[in-house]
Amino acid sequence: MRAAKRGDSVAYRQLLQAITPVLRTVVRARGTALGRETCEDVLQEVLLAIHAKRHTWQEDAPLRPWLYAIARHKVVDAFRARGRHFDLSIDDLAEVLPAADGPDPTEGRDMEKVLSRLEPRAAEIVRAFGLNGETTAETAARLDMSEGAVRVALHRALKTIARLRERMIE
Amino acid sequence: MNTDDLIAVLAADTLPQQTVGQRLWRALPVAIGVTVLAFVVFWGARADMMAALNSAAILKTIFPLVLALLAGALAFGLARPGLRADMRMAALGLFAAGLIAAFAMALARDGVSGLTGALATPSLVTCLLSVPTLALPLLGAVFWALSAGAALRPRLTGAVAGLLAGGLSAALYSLHCDQDAALFVLPAYSTAILPVALFGAAIGPRLLKW
Repeated sequence: MRAAKRGDSVAYRQLLQAITPVLRTVVRARGTALGRETCEDVLQEVLLAIHAKRHTWQEDAPLRPWLYAIARHKVVDAFRARGRHFDLSIDDLAEVLPAADGPDPTEGRDMEKVLSRLEPRAAEIVRAFGLNGETTAETAARLDMSEGAVRVALHRALKTIARLRERMIE
Repeated sequence: MNTDDLIAVLAADTLPQQTVGQRLWRALPVAIGVTVLAFVVFWGARADMMAALNSAAILKTIFPLVLALLAGALAFGLARPGLRADMRMAALGLFAAGLIAAFAMALARDGVSGLTGALATPSLVTCLLSVPTLALPLLGAVFWALSAGAALRPRLTGAVAGLLAGGLSAALYSLHCDQDAALFVLPAYSTAILPVALFGAAIGPRLLKW
């Protein structure tokens, strides 16, 4: 996380990958009735929150209490919001049985909905990094933008995504 | 989008973020400037300000500043998850208890008639209206800064932000107010700061949500 705060994207990615399984277990334990997909949406929300609030962690403080505080807050928030219009479909029940060759269990639904409401170019950039695994330089070259502009656009897009998700769930 | 892809997106966003402190550093001087300007134009300092600042009446300015400082430290702590803010909370509580004790002592000395006498002045209404009004720009700046943080208890954090803004505003207003009796200052200033804290508590859950 320390390296991440200095802009080390590789270290940051490793950190997020390392904490995700733990967070997923926590989220699924709390939301067994909501189905896997919803849990994955909540997990993605937690990750977005960790990302958006990463500056509130101070380098000399232990990381774990901070991480758990963020996660707990977001999980409670997300389940409370979803509990209000809770729908239990057959699909959710089916998921209790282990599916042999189902869709990707880590696929979230909310993210696609949000991306479709984003400005096309911003969504394109987010997809470039996520689905296509492009680097900043590749995206910049393909979209004919400077690398700085791509970074700024991505940064803004993530902020918009956080805002849209907030509004969507309410 | 699956979670691994999302992580890739998040990791690619390496732009630095503004912290609560940086935002406060940017917004608070502007807000203080606006408030001081409004104060100079519409209120103005008392004629004997210099003499007052050399007497015990300077406590009227110092106490609200201390309140603002303690509230500021607590608000910072509350905006940072994983940080125990107990000590800062205790410091603020102790300070409030001290003020109440001082009020009780003054009341014991001069009695209820002293209190009603001290408060029977048009300055009371001016004080109760001026402090919250002058606090508004400051409250805006503090909330803008705190919204960059991650308050787990937005209502409490909002109230503390109100104490911070109200304390600063009361310190400024004290330069205009020519009532120096403890039995006026303690109850009037506290009652004037309170609505700012209540307002902060009311808007906190909405504005400090994340």
